[in-house]
Amino acid sequence: MKLFLKAFPLLVGLLSSSVFADVAVIVNPSNNSELSKSDISKIFLGKSKTFSNGESVKAVNLKSNSAIRDNFQKEVLGKSKSQVKAYWSKLIFTGKGKPLKEFDNEKEVVSFIASNPNAIGYVDRSKVNDSVKVVN
Amino acid sequence: MKKKLAFTSLIAALISLPSQAEITFNGFASIVGGTTTSSNDNLYGYDDNFDFKEGSLFALQASSDLGEGLGVTIQLAAKGTDDWEPEFKWAFLSYDATDELRILAGRQRAPFYMYSDFLDVSYAYPWITPPTGVYDLIFDTYDGLSAIYSTSFGDVEASFHGIYGRITDKFDAFGETITPNVGDLTGLATTFTYDWLTLRASYFIADTTMPFSDLEGLAHGWSQAGFEDVANNTRLSEDSSSFLELGFQINYDALIIVGEYTNLEIENSPLAEEDSYYVMAGYQFDSILVHVTYGVDENVNDIYTSDIPYGLHPDIDFLKGATEGFLYSQESEEEYVTVGVRYDFHDSAAFKLEYTDFTNKNNNSSDAGLIRAAIVTVF
Repeated sequence: MKLFLKAFPLLVGLLSSSVFADVAVIVNPSNNSELSKSDISKIFLGKSKTFSNGESVKAVNLKSNSAIRDNFQKEVLGKSKSQVKAYWSKLIFTGKGKPLKEFDNEKEVVSFIASNPNAIGYVDRSKVNDSVKVVN
Repeated sequence: MKKKLAFTSLIAALISLPSQAEITFNGFASIVGGTTTSSNDNLYGYDDNFDFKEGSLFALQASSDLGEGLGVTIQLAAKGTDDWEPEFKWAFLSYDATDELRILAGRQRAPFYMYSDFLDVSYAYPWITPPTGVYDLIFDTYDGLSAIYSTSFGDVEASFHGIYGRITDKFDAFGETITPNVGDLTGLATTFTYDWLTLRASYFIADTTMPFSDLEGLAHGWSQAGFEDVANNTRLSEDSSSFLELGFQINYDALIIVGEYTNLEIENSPLAEEDSYYVMAGYQFDSILVHVTYGVDENVNDIYTSDIPYGLHPDIDFLKGATEGFLYSQESEEEYVTVGVRYDFHDSAAFKLEYTDFTNKNNNSSDAGLIRAAIVTVF
């Protein structure tokens, strides 16, 4: 029983890490920039506004009630929902940043990125198609 | 001619901007209720009547990106403590010269403290408000220019925020409303962040004039009695002032530790030199943050009339008595402990509960306990 208790959190851990792995960070296929996890994090925290190829970034979010967004923020930004919200409210209410554009669903994100060379976003890996490029 | 050219090209630039610039609205609010724990206690504007007005505020911000790096931001905040009279906290034009350099012109927050930039956005920090003992400058907003340079040195992110401007916003103190002149306000705030550690330092200087009629009257008396030096010290006129802040923040996993030290000095003035600091430690349990803060606030005055003996003349005795009465009244040594929780019960809102135990070492009749509860939100 004790062993089971120990194994249980491990199992949950494995399950949740596989959920993280299902988040695909996507860009337009024409975008040839190198993107590390820290680059992606800086973009979505409004710290970095250009890709390594010099083009200005247009990062997009899913609506805040999205589970994919939660996973992305936990995994890539290392922050909880309310931490991200608090962080962005500092930028917004000092005029230093504008909230990222938000989409209701992943299909909209994919089609936005497919038609915008400088866009970056994230969706569930199962929603990825040939019109976008996965960078993580 | 040159001016006309510059003007014409500005107009041309404005005309070439997209004609329907999108305006983004955002807002934030705090609804705070509080009461002191015993009938004789008064603290931070609260007494033993449960109050919902003193700490509550609503703010609305409109911003628009005009293109080519130019933007406009306006923030209007109405606070219960000001009888809900709205005030512009920010109203500026911004120009992003490069990705790293941003210039602001207009009305803006002076970056005195670590939390100055988003002072009223309670959602962005653990407490209901940052510790009052440190965050007690009369002014938080100025009119002028600033430049923010953000860059990184390897893994260290750095920001340099230089300002120049003036403050002439009316305020109430010593039973009257005055229009101050805090002129040539010049300063620099620097912040360095490495992963879990943030270090901050800021320094400001200004020439401060505050025409309080009681002090002016005393100064006039000293001047007539032939004590020009004492008169100058008593008058708050173009006195060189300095403000220093040193701060750190540690965000390590679920642990948060924050500390700030400040020193305010208005030279040759009857106002005390103020040294303040606080240290806060908090721990995040899932959606609940538990925190405790210890702070000290010390005001020490130069009793510049002490070498004038009593008995020279009844008028001088009166001036000395009145002046020293004022000088000593500005001295204090205060200490406080605040324990609190923040509960993120909603995507855009948090509930906060705090208890503050306040001790005045010079005068224990102003010791007080204060309970506050708040719902804070961003929208």
